[in-house]
Amino acid sequence: MNKFIRVDMTTKKVEIQEVPEKYVGLGGRGLTSNFVNDEVKPTCHPLGKNNKIIFAPGMLSGTSAPNSGRISVGSKSPLTGTIKESNAGGTFSQKMAKMGIKALVIEGMPAEDEFYILKITMDGVTIEEAPKEILGGCGNYKAIELLNNKYGEKVGIALAGPAGEHRLPTANISFKDPDSNMRSAGRGGLGAVLGSKKVKALVIDDTGAPGVPIAEPEKFREASKVFAKALLDHPVSGQALAAYGTDVLVNILNEAGGLPAINFTKGRIDWNENIAGETLNATIKERGGEGKVSHGCHAGCVIRCSQWYPDKQGKLITSGFEYETIWGLGADAGIKDLDDIAYIDRAMDDIGIDSIETAVAVATAMEGGLLPWGDGKAVLEAVKEVAIPTPLGRLIGSGTTVVGKACGLFRVPVVKDQGIPAYDPRPIKGIGLTYATTTMGADHTAGYCISGNILKVGGNIDPLKKDGQIEYARAMQIGTAAVDSTGMCLFVYFGIADNPAGYQALIDMINAQYGINLTANDVDELGKSVLKVERAFNKAAGFTNAHDRLPEFFEYEPCPPHNEVWDFTPEEIDEVYNF
Amino acid sequence: MEKKTVEIRGFMQLREYFRRKNWPVPLILDLEEAISGYELAEKLEIPAEEVEVIFVNGFVQALDYRIQPGDRIAFLPPGCPGPYRIALGFYGKNQDNQANFLIHKKKENEQG
Repeated sequence: MNKFIRVDMTTKKVEIQEVPEKYVGLGGRGLTSNFVNDEVKPTCHPLGKNNKIIFAPGMLSGTSAPNSGRISVGSKSPLTGTIKESNAGGTFSQKMAKMGIKALVIEGMPAEDEFYILKITMDGVTIEEAPKEILGGCGNYKAIELLNNKYGEKVGIALAGPAGEHRLPTANISFKDPDSNMRSAGRGGLGAVLGSKKVKALVIDDTGAPGVPIAEPEKFREASKVFAKALLDHPVSGQALAAYGTDVLVNILNEAGGLPAINFTKGRIDWNENIAGETLNATIKERGGEGKVSHGCHAGCVIRCSQWYPDKQGKLITSGFEYETIWGLGADAGIKDLDDIAYIDRAMDDIGIDSIETAVAVATAMEGGLLPWGDGKAVLEAVKEVAIPTPLGRLIGSGTTVVGKACGLFRVPVVKDQGIPAYDPRPIKGIGLTYATTTMGADHTAGYCISGNILKVGGNIDPLKKDGQIEYARAMQIGTAAVDSTGMCLFVYFGIADNPAGYQALIDMINAQYGINLTANDVDELGKSVLKVERAFNKAAGFTNAHDRLPEFFEYEPCPPHNEVWDFTPEEIDEVYNF
Repeated sequence: MEKKTVEIRGFMQLREYFRRKNWPVPLILDLEEAISGYELAEKLEIPAEEVEVIFVNGFVQALDYRIQPGDRIAFLPPGCPGPYRIALGFYGKNQDNQANFLIHKKKENEQG
């Protein structure tokens, strides 16, 4: 990958440069975070002219490596004020990589109030006026259909939905998937940054793309085979995720007493069967029609955790129906009907808002009296208002912190203004350390992959005890930062955590592609360096250790059924980043 | 005197198993004396290799854990995703059971 593209929206100039020396060995999150730290003024307003947004495929994207099609998007976050890397599946990353594009940066902002489309082909990038029909409240499903009609069915699309146009901090960037549905770079409001730069969409056409050169093709093929087998051999990545999706976690977390419910006032519900992965699976099978139990979000995915959830007549309601969404609306906001949740999920995709932030904000709004508890129909209407946006729509679309303030609440589950996801930190303490310390604001995917000898440490972890948790949170964040740089889906974790051959195969693929000799230790060092760069940016933006804390209510409100509180001291929390 | 019972759930593919047996969820089973997870699985004809860990009153335990009358039990097949496998303590509890040999099959084969 030899092209580094800069699009200046102030001057409408496009520059295609050679990849700067410093970024040659980087990809995905490693590249986006280094770039943001190098070039974005840490104290800039995220929606102002000095913020930049960068799109980068991972190191292995565009190759035949299984599950390597993630796209990373980096910027300063309008939701958190921190550095942000948000990644997604879809078709965009592989097309960029095959075209030899290491990264595409959008900077500046136009003076005029017009939206544009960036069209990326092998001939370069053109800036075109956005068609009026896809603006002003047009949903993402329709917008993708119109863009497909205009630019061709095969193009890749990255899109700011109506929420992005309104620059709301829950706005995501939606990426077209192989079936013209959406996968989202969900967290941190990067759709609002795109909207602030007046870029409605990026359309990528890889016709004539040369493909990704592989230095040692035979070695690559061999490693790729071992890697695929490691994924498929594992009961999680080979079977369970395909059958039940991520929603398999509802019953498990509920049983563990760590399923945050009714705005984080308890850790177990008695309506879990309504929303559980087992029910999701059975419902899809029973309804048939367009329903699919398993589905891959990008070409080359062998895990296939996504699905198509149909209505009673068998017509698709939503795809990529994730645990976090179902938890947030089902347990945290108390909506007991899976169909209601599916329609809200579809609306969130259509408007282009993060389904975690929105769900947590909705539950907070319920506690604040803005919405009735558990009322799926009322939530659907409120979410649709984000696209207009009405005052209530703007509130919900501004995320959990803003809703909490507007309602005068103290029980506001956020870290660095980002809503806490689906795992209660009181009975599952290691997760709490990651929420508190990650550079991204509360984020479960920030601590998702192994590094070093974490399994040895992990063997002794008791979810209620402090022992080993600091090492766990540190190692998982380091491992995740490295894997996020490869373009790999985090679910490769299972094939590499429980199977050393799988981990080696991942490294072997990178080595064979680039003709280099990384070791496991180098990969760990890469992870550490990414975290250090991100933390340096946050520090320069004004963040201190005092921001690495969970909301105070976790310290004095016990979470039933285990009735645990959050009891890590500030000194203990600060140890996580002592490396 | 009140009857002594345990409350039992099965997740993932074991849910199908419950359905085929026409068991309610949760299944309430009479239990007069303590019993190990293995013994309970056997009693219910759940193959041990279908169980990675069990939950007992909300805590992850190995299959040899002693279950007491009054406990809330769930059988979990190998397949729980996420770092929660570590965070909830699976790796301290799944090492000696048959399901873990499924997870580590490849390694075992290589060594064997």
